[in-house]
Amino acid sequence: MTLYVLRRLAQAVLVVAGVVILTFVVARVVPGDPAASWAGPKASQEELDAIRARLGLDAPVPEQIVSYFAGVVKGDWGVAVHTHRPVMEDLLDRAPASIELVVVAMIFALLFGIPCGLLSARWNRRLPDSVVRFGAVFAVSMPSFWLALILQLVFFQKLRWFPVAGQYDPNLDYTHPLVQYTQMPIVDALITGNWWVFRSALWHVVLPAVVVAAYPFGVITRMVRASVLDTLGEDHVRMVRALGFSERSVFAKWTLKPALNPVIAVLALVFAYSLANSFLVESIFNWPGLGAYAAASVAALDTPAIVGVTLFIAIVYVIGNLVVDIAQTALDPRIKLS
Amino acid sequence: MRRFGTVKALVALVVVALAAAACTGTTATPSGGGGTTSGGTPVDTNFTMSFTGEIMVGWDPSDSYSNDVTAMQNMYETLTRYNSETQQVEPLLATSWTSNDAGTEWTFDIRSGVTFHTGRAMTAEDVKASIERTMDINGGAAYIWSPVKSIDAPDDTTVVFTLKYSAPLDLIASADYAAYIFDTQAAGGADLAKWFADGAEAGTGAYTLDSWDQGAEVELRLKAFPEYWGGWDATHYQNVIYRVVPEATTAAQLLRSGQVSWVERLNPQLWGTFQNDPTTTTTSTASWQTLLAMLNTTDGPLADARVRQAVMAGIDYDGMMQALQGGAQKLSGVIPPGLWGHVDDLYPTYDPEKAKSLLQEVGYGPGGQAMDLELTFVQGDSDEQLVATLIKSNLADLNINVQSRGMQWTAQWSKAKSANVAERQDIFLFYWWPDYADPYSWFINLFHTEDPPFFNLSYYSNADVDTRMEQAEQMAASDRAQATQMFQDLQQTLYTDAPSISVYTQTYQRAMLKSVGGYVDNPAYPNCVFVYDLTPGVA
Repeated sequence: MTLYVLRRLAQAVLVVAGVVILTFVVARVVPGDPAASWAGPKASQEELDAIRARLGLDAPVPEQIVSYFAGVVKGDWGVAVHTHRPVMEDLLDRAPASIELVVVAMIFALLFGIPCGLLSARWNRRLPDSVVRFGAVFAVSMPSFWLALILQLVFFQKLRWFPVAGQYDPNLDYTHPLVQYTQMPIVDALITGNWWVFRSALWHVVLPAVVVAAYPFGVITRMVRASVLDTLGEDHVRMVRALGFSERSVFAKWTLKPALNPVIAVLALVFAYSLANSFLVESIFNWPGLGAYAAASVAALDTPAIVGVTLFIAIVYVIGNLVVDIAQTALDPRIKLS
Repeated sequence: MRRFGTVKALVALVVVALAAAACTGTTATPSGGGGTTSGGTPVDTNFTMSFTGEIMVGWDPSDSYSNDVTAMQNMYETLTRYNSETQQVEPLLATSWTSNDAGTEWTFDIRSGVTFHTGRAMTAEDVKASIERTMDINGGAAYIWSPVKSIDAPDDTTVVFTLKYSAPLDLIASADYAAYIFDTQAAGGADLAKWFADGAEAGTGAYTLDSWDQGAEVELRLKAFPEYWGGWDATHYQNVIYRVVPEATTAAQLLRSGQVSWVERLNPQLWGTFQNDPTTTTTSTASWQTLLAMLNTTDGPLADARVRQAVMAGIDYDGMMQALQGGAQKLSGVIPPGLWGHVDDLYPTYDPEKAKSLLQEVGYGPGGQAMDLELTFVQGDSDEQLVATLIKSNLADLNINVQSRGMQWTAQWSKAKSANVAERQDIFLFYWWPDYADPYSWFINLFHTEDPPFFNLSYYSNADVDTRMEQAEQMAASDRAQATQMFQDLQQTLYTDAPSISVYTQTYQRAMLKSVGGYVDNPAYPNCVFVYDLTPGVA
């Protein structure tokens, strides 16, 4: 087990290093001068030269990559050109909001995806199945920005059920100030017992989370359906049915658990995918996560920040996969790590 | 069955939580900014602004040179302020000023009874210390002080500037960047630059820092400074809130529901939807962000002045303005309206017949030799993209083939400055704006002989123009009316020589709640709202 984890970690480091080198080279090959972005549009030549030296831009690209890696190992992810702050600090400030949004979205996706998948499998090729399958395809293929705008229009502008944007009502900062520990308002409000902010935050997260949840919902529904149908054909289920157990307990007891394994495997990938996919959604719902930061970094040709965001997402992908692989053995004794 | 039980419990929990949230939701909906209350705070006392990008990029008043200006101008003050409506410089921390005839020695009377947000009283010595620190750090827009040789503070309310050469110091002191007066002792014995960088301020403005949350949606809050020298007897906003809203559609929704009071920028279509909205007001003001097409006067076909004039006459400016839907307006001369030195009736005009005959003189034009021109613009700016497309299609009628290239600004600029003359473009599209209210900014940076080129990207060199602009700037210190005349004459010369085409000046299209009273856009301070000058009203 330990050996397996170590080997997987070593592989992960290689993957991440590859991603970083690729991003770094692409970001540097694009014509442009990060020093000019740093100094602003009217900087003098002396200023530009000084900044270039300070940011290490006068060194050749391979040398810059080496010194970047040396920094990453020590926890120094470079300084962002457009915020003038360490990239690590920027990411730590913004990642919690993105993670909060994606976690809520994943909860939505699981809460609705698993029952829908079961429903679909239970009434295979009947009306419920068709409805769910259509819903799943719709959710996966819907462009997220379009869905976001439609939800804003319907649920904010027309019905006024949910707020248009933001994490919680900013006026609450004057009446019920929130003490921040994790930078995730829902969590912070919960642990400090600030119910005003908690309710406002829950109310605010619904629309963006529904948009982010659309894709994972579709994937999970289809996965559960396919996997349950697969399991239903297995010998043990046939035997249970032959013994006269009710359909309900056949599904709940003997089918769902083995069927969930592939679902969990896909969960990690979908989580990391949603993190990157939420960028557009974040900007529409004004969610202060990594999305706006990534967009601003690209616009400013901010190599350290672009590489930082990429590195972060790559790490989430790799760790997510590892955690899922380990979790699967715990859930299904048939799987062995080797 | 246990699994189903857990799932059911989770669903029930979420449903209950959402229901609870939805219930509060209705009560927490902020209303239209009229004297109602939300959670105990009168909405009227808060002025909420919506900006598209992060606000506080820098905190140091000496070298802040970015979006932060919009907040800095409410926390800090300068000696003077330029009023674009009267085109005059007005007192702020200085109550009056005089200069000698040569414009090389300036004496400012400093306002007494001014307190820094740190609690210390401001004196002439602090004014001297602030500007000297800015000059020492020499970052951002600090170069505006380069004429200054020495600063003296003979008593608590007098500051004397001795200059190396004549310069309009009253205008320089009104600059939007690098001219702030601050408490240089704010950090005590510690490093002041570090103290600022951690998110602190030491100004004299009407509002002081309340909270700053970098990367958050509500990034910055300012609150009224009780000891502000202007006093709080009249009605003013008590809190200033800066929200970062990158999407224009979201900003529009927030304004419509009264959750923000003022929006920095909407696209022309969205802005138009607010014009007939009973709860909002809109304003449209010419900015000082001028879009210029710099023509290559040294290399290629445009080296001939007749070809440049032909290109200038070959562009349909009215059609362009229509396509921009009010996002910009035609520019007469190079100096925008609202800035002294602006000249009327010097608009570039569309005259395809004139263009054809000029081109025929040099063997080009319809029926003649085809001409190839390369135009560069900043990628991602949809207005510039539109302008490039229109220029390309207009000039195609004149048998001129324009190859337009959208580039990153830094790449576009490097190409223009290239030591290899053949590398350089024929038409360079870019924005210019001044760092203080002085038309000289356009002349010295864009049209003064410069080798190697930095911003003179038409590579224009005219000894007579060089001398005349230097004389005009010297005159600006002592006789502004005379200087105005000289700058206007210079624009006439440039119009004939045509080293550049004044394509347009951007329009600030703002939308705000009807309850916001006394709003005036001052293009000398781009995107700055002087919140103290506003009157909160009841909608």
